[in-house]
Amino acid sequence: MKDSSEGAIVSRRQWLKTFLGLGAGLLVVHRGGLLAGSVDLDTARDEASQLIVRVSRPFDAETPVREFTSFLTPNHLFFVRSHFGPPSPETIGESQWTLRVGGAVERPKVFTMRSLRQFEPVTITAVLQCSGNGRAYHRPRVPGVQWERGAVGNAQWTGVRLRDVLQAAGIRAEARHVMFQGADRPVVNAVPLFARSIPLQKALHPDTLLAYEMNGHPLPLLHGAPLRAITPGWMAESCIKWLTHIEAREDEASGYFMQTAYRVPVKSAHTNTAVTGNETAPVEVMPIKSLIASPENGQSLEAGPVTIQGVAWAGETSIAKVEVSIDEGKTWRPTHLVGDDRLYAWRQWRFLWQATVQGTFTILCRATDERGDVQPAASSWNPSGFLWNGWDRVTVQVHP
Amino acid sequence: MMNASRSIGLFFVIGLVALTAITAFSQEDPASVMTMLGPRAEGLIIARCSVCHSADLITQQRLSGTRWETTIEKMKHWGAEISGQEADLLIRYLSARYHPDAPLNLPPLDHEMRKAEPFKDEPEAQGPARGVVLRGAGVFELNCQGCHGAGAMGGMGPKLAKNPILKHDELFRETVLYGRGPMPAWGSVLSEQDIADVHEWLLTR
Repeated sequence: MKDSSEGAIVSRRQWLKTFLGLGAGLLVVHRGGLLAGSVDLDTARDEASQLIVRVSRPFDAETPVREFTSFLTPNHLFFVRSHFGPPSPETIGESQWTLRVGGAVERPKVFTMRSLRQFEPVTITAVLQCSGNGRAYHRPRVPGVQWERGAVGNAQWTGVRLRDVLQAAGIRAEARHVMFQGADRPVVNAVPLFARSIPLQKALHPDTLLAYEMNGHPLPLLHGAPLRAITPGWMAESCIKWLTHIEAREDEASGYFMQTAYRVPVKSAHTNTAVTGNETAPVEVMPIKSLIASPENGQSLEAGPVTIQGVAWAGETSIAKVEVSIDEGKTWRPTHLVGDDRLYAWRQWRFLWQATVQGTFTILCRATDERGDVQPAASSWNPSGFLWNGWDRVTVQVHP
Repeated sequence: MMNASRSIGLFFVIGLVALTAITAFSQEDPASVMTMLGPRAEGLIIARCSVCHSADLITQQRLSGTRWETTIEKMKHWGAEISGQEADLLIRYLSARYHPDAPLNLPPLDHEMRKAEPFKDEPEAQGPARGVVLRGAGVFELNCQGCHGAGAMGGMGPKLAKNPILKHDELFRETVLYGRGPMPAWGSVLSEQDIADVHEWLLTR
């Protein structure tokens, strides 16, 4: 929780300096750079320097958790994750973009952005979170991007219902799954494409969207411009960016990113223990989780009243309560849930802590949802390091 | 009874041999492995891995030797041009430097800013190398096409056919040798002759 963040920011700046120092016409890779989608280089530099870079190419970066004192996460501070980086900026113009809908449908269709916008627009506030958020805390360690706490964000998504689009094409009776494919491509052909599918039931849910706006602005390139899927309450790998193809299918999408990656061992619903055998299921709904946005880890505080605040979310259900502990989980005290209570969005919470004693304190938080699911002290280990939702923890010093 | 105790004895011997082998392997001093293999391994990381992703994805991992081995296998399966010998070297180096108990803040490879150590024994060039077009086509296809596209028409990296940089021999050579921005340094993979050949071929595009 303390480690690499600063170093990553510094090296990112150095990298950008080199990157920005290039003259025109030189060997510049323009895909995967964060230049893309920003109006000018200075803006890109300022904005990116506020993210914690995990991988510089393809660009993966997380949001500093202190930004989560805000209900909505601004676009330029929203975490970025993709396997191959965005398609080149000149290919994503709204006027040239097409979305093909095919497979098990009566009438395969090609939509332009203009024709998509004929459907009823819908806006939903939803948390997006990388399945690997918190991977760095799994023990034994797991290979993959070592996300800590900030590969998550809450934004307003505007678009049209996937259901409306699918119904326009006419779903055939045999369809059980809906596959998404984006325009992003790997450098090397041997790498499989990033294609994922969701069950038909989720695809037909009225809250599942094809979004073209994020927080009231056109989708930025790094977030899937001009069109992406939004599966509220589910982990973000279903929210395919740069969406070009939708296919109704009888079975799950084939290929590595559906059949091997983004899967977890099947658990018994009652005991929460992995059953023996190799049975796995795709990562879908987000488990209950909460974060402490303020104070920050390592912060020095003056003795006196301290506002502890943060956010909590629970996939497809609401937050019932959030508690904090200052004694390593021996006792828990209820916090106040504040702000809007919207399904799929995160819920903000606050707690006034009377920090009268000086010393070093570790603050923990844990959330409980409407169904009674409680955030665990640590998540169960899984081979890909997904779905970390252990108690959040920050350590602070209180001075007189 | 006899048979049972004999096989127990056999198992014991096999176990002892295996244990000795494991101990010998794990006694490979990580510091000397890093010094010995570091330059070549870092060159390989740049040349073989950073075609698809920057080296920071590698250096943030803290994995056991077995995990490194499976990871490299996966990458080979996905098109990383790593020979068997290179894979062995990488596994030894990565397991020594990025093992589960290694500190989180190791000094960065800083690869994108500096040249990798050459590991080819090339004779010192006498004057500028003269390129051979046909050979250049092959070198390009093997090493450059992944990013710069078939026929040098551009891909993840820019189009090189008719690119203004081709008119500046020295700038072209330096860019290939030392890398620039997101492009990795190729000095550890391509010889002066290779670079001249690619240059010559690109001029025909």
